[in-house]
Amino acid sequence: MAFLSHLISGVSLGSIYAIIALGYTMVYGIAKMLNFAHGDVIMVGAYSCFFMVSRYELPAVVGVVVAMVVCTILGVTIERLAYRPLRQAPALAVLITAIGVSYFLQNSALLLWTSNPKVFPSIVGNGSLKLFDGQLSISYTALLTVVTCIIIMMALTWFTSKTRMGKAMRAVSEDKGAAQLMGINVNATISMVFAIGSALAAIAGILLCSAYPTLSPTTGSMPGIKAFTAAVFGGIGSIPGAMIGGILLGVIEIFGKAYISTQLSDAIVFLVLIVVLLVRPTGLLGKSVQEKV
Amino acid sequence: MMLKVSDLHVYYGAIHAVKGISLEVNEGEIVTLIGANGAGKSTVLQTISGLLRPRTGSITFLDDDITALVPHKRVERGLAQVPEGRRIFLSLTVAENLEMGAYTQRGADTSVGMERAFTLFPRLKERRKQVAGTLSGGEQQMLAMGRALMSSPKLLMLDEPSMGLAPILVEQIFSNIVDMNADGTTILLVEQNAQMALSIAGRAYVLETGQIVMQGEAAELSDNEQVKRAYLGG
Ligand SMILES: Nc1ncnc2c1ncn2[C@@H]1O[C@H](COP(=O)(O)OP(=O)(O)O)[C@@H](O)[C@H]1O
Ligand SMILES: [Mg+2]
Repeated sequence: MAFLSHLISGVSLGSIYAIIALGYTMVYGIAKMLNFAHGDVIMVGAYSCFFMVSRYELPAVVGVVVAMVVCTILGVTIERLAYRPLRQAPALAVLITAIGVSYFLQNSALLLWTSNPKVFPSIVGNGSLKLFDGQLSISYTALLTVVTCIIIMMALTWFTSKTRMGKAMRAVSEDKGAAQLMGINVNATISMVFAIGSALAAIAGILLCSAYPTLSPTTGSMPGIKAFTAAVFGGIGSIPGAMIGGILLGVIEIFGKAYISTQLSDAIVFLVLIVVLLVRPTGLLGKSVQEKV
Repeated sequence: MMLKVSDLHVYYGAIHAVKGISLEVNEGEIVTLIGANGAGKSTVLQTISGLLRPRTGSITFLDDDITALVPHKRVERGLAQVPEGRRIFLSLTVAENLEMGAYTQRGADTSVGMERAFTLFPRLKERRKQVAGTLSGGEQQMLAMGRALMSSPKLLMLDEPSMGLAPILVEQIFSNIVDMNADGTTILLVEQNAQMALSIAGRAYVLETGQIVMQGEAAELSDNEQVKRAYLGG
């Protein structure tokens, strides 16, 4: 039963990584850049929800919606002001800018909200579902996390395969010039991807803080790095890859903590990543780039 | 007049690739732009589509100055291009590629355009659910042309549609171009295969190192000794 319980915790943590990893991977797919500020958008989302729910005592739904709106605007603004002017710039310049944006967000949060951690109440309370005569208990937060992750995955699959905008997103990811020749507004499409990724970051931030209730300006960085790892693990640019990578990473982390060593669990996570990348440099589901003449 | 390009200068950094080109395309025509590899043909087409910005010069399309217009707005106005190397979306299916071609036809029913593309290129219909990366070179060229037609362009520009294709397919692609023109689409055709291009075009421009060195009726140019020697292999 302990095994099952760890598995559920792992899948639940992994679902959060997966939702964050989707933002990394979609942005990488379309803008070919690593948006290192993504983790800090998560933090801003969590603070937005925290203020709505704890400070202004509004219903959790309002907190979630406000957080998503704030993060969407933030993500689109970051892209517009910091990344779009660098569209033709070398990758290194873009990467350094992204790290700069990340520090900017963390330090702004420090100024606005101080470094004192806030206690974030779970948006679904602290109850849990008891199974097998109470031998197995699954927190409502974990249930909500997994269900949310599944819904997001289905919605994104539908979006990218069935809608006009979703197909345009795939077209722009593959060839921006050809997409422009089709009459696709490439800048608007990239903005849309940043909007989706940032709205997902808000959801991830709220789920993360619901499970691990301390919120501070650096809350987003470590999950951000792990989710980035998950995206690479699954194959950067691949949406199903981000999901699988995220969930596997969460499971490995929790099993590592439970059965090997609490201190070494992060090291184990990165070790697995290194091994996977040695065997499959493009990640689990990454496409090897092939061109046809 | 449909398209008028005046004194266009285009640079890649310090490289002066297009040095003062002027050309015109009238409604209903097939006009060809021929020249050796590196002459600047693709640069001209990309500038007309808006992917490249000219340093000076102007582009007028259907009496409007579009020199500063963003590329996707040019497509909305009826200017489409089949780019060099086809550049179809390899990871999308044939049908999805065609849908992308109809991206500017917001809310319109794409099935009419798709049927038209399938009539012109029946092979695409059989393969419409297939991922485009699995198509042969000839089929990819047909898809690139079908895709460009989906926006119902007034002017269709084609950049070396015969490149890399077997002679029998080249014949077919050129007859498709004639058909599209007969359906009312004005054509600006860029080719290295000067012989074929001159055989279907009404007028032609000859480009050399970024400048137009000759222009006139296609039939006259095919008889011109200089053109024969330089581009027609004798
Ligand atoms: N992206 C680029 N960067 C620098 N130079 C380029 C680039 N593309 C083309 N050129 C140069 O511009 C000139 C014209 O190229 P292009 O328009 O592709 O010729 P064509 O289509 O007639 O073969 C060539 O000298 C080519 O080397
Ligand atoms: Mg060329």
